[in-house]
Amino acid sequence: MAASVDPLVVGRVIGDVLDMFIPTANMSVYFGPKHITNGCEIKPSTALNPPKVNISGHSDELYTLVMTDPDAPSPSEPNMREWVHWIVVDIPGGTNPSKGQEILPYMEPRPPVGIHRYILVLFRQNSPVGLMVQQPPSRANFSTRMFAGHLDLGLPVATVYFNAQKEPASRRR
Amino acid sequence: MAIPVSMAMATTPTDSVSRVWSMSSLKSALPSPSSFRLPSSSSRRPVTLRLPISSPSLPSFSGLSPVNPLLSIGLPDWQSFENGFKIVDGGGRVYAMRHGRRVPKLNRPPDQRKALLRGLTTQLLKHGRIKTTRARASAMRKFVDKMITLAKDGSLHKRRQALGFIYEKQIVHALFAEVPDRYGERNGGYTRIIRTLPRRGDNAPMAYIELV
Repeated sequence: MAASVDPLVVGRVIGDVLDMFIPTANMSVYFGPKHITNGCEIKPSTALNPPKVNISGHSDELYTLVMTDPDAPSPSEPNMREWVHWIVVDIPGGTNPSKGQEILPYMEPRPPVGIHRYILVLFRQNSPVGLMVQQPPSRANFSTRMFAGHLDLGLPVATVYFNAQKEPASRRR
Repeated sequence: MAIPVSMAMATTPTDSVSRVWSMSSLKSALPSPSSFRLPSSSSRRPVTLRLPISSPSLPSFSGLSPVNPLLSIGLPDWQSFENGFKIVDGGGRVYAMRHGRRVPKLNRPPDQRKALLRGLTTQLLKHGRIKTTRARASAMRKFVDKMITLAKDGSLHKRRQALGFIYEKQIVHALFAEVPDRYGERNGGYTRIIRTLPRRGDNAPMAYIELV
């Protein structure tokens, strides 16, 4: 029963992690050869390395990229919502996160129980952030809203999410 | 003497579901309270809500309600008319026996019954806890347990069997991903039923059913 056609609303990304926004930038994310669309299933083994992210926009604009998992440790009991996997700030428009400043190094998805959503959120910065923000004390119980409020980032400009679950061990009954 | 009773009533805990309050307060007013053995109407339920039968510490009261001593003997459904406490067994006719009754019919033809149970288990697996009538809640236990057992097995055949029962396939996939960790050690009894107040429109006895 989807009240809206927007896959972000259907997947409850908007609501659990973000507020309703209007996408103004384009972001294409690739894990190896696989292009990420909203809600696609990715194996953790293909997500070991950080994805290739291409961000549209002018090179004088700076962007911030955050990757979180709101379903940690399990979707039915998300005690550690959200678990942040990657934070990169000061990415010039039209490039990729390797040109930005990595506040929190990339951690690959490791869902212990259930099917987790992994959300990549892109914000447009008003001003260079530089050293204003440091690493969050722990990856658990992160709040994307509060992080955006703290850096005065406003609403996101682009979001994509994918699903991942623990790959079953090779023994199959 | 009504005041100490009202103080005692205020100290009951908040889960006033299925408290046979009026019985114990009446017993103290009657000549020999200790000789009463009132049948506990909730003993047939699997839910372990302990009822403190016969709390002798209540002072006797008079004049709060005109009591016919005959009424207080052995009728499990007698409703008290003080202070709005309800006996939460819904006031339905209770027969003592269930001989030969294997399938709960839920007042529906078989196809509708199957559809109702499929819908209810889908919603329970989706939301984790739902409120429905008591008959439906106790009828769906079997099917919820069956679905969780299928998910515990986890093979493709069982997944397809679950897909044939549950209406939304996302729920099946989420179930098969979560259940081995969540219910791996538990053998059976994956649901819990908690009785609540009757529904206002038709006084139907209601219950919460939740995944344990």
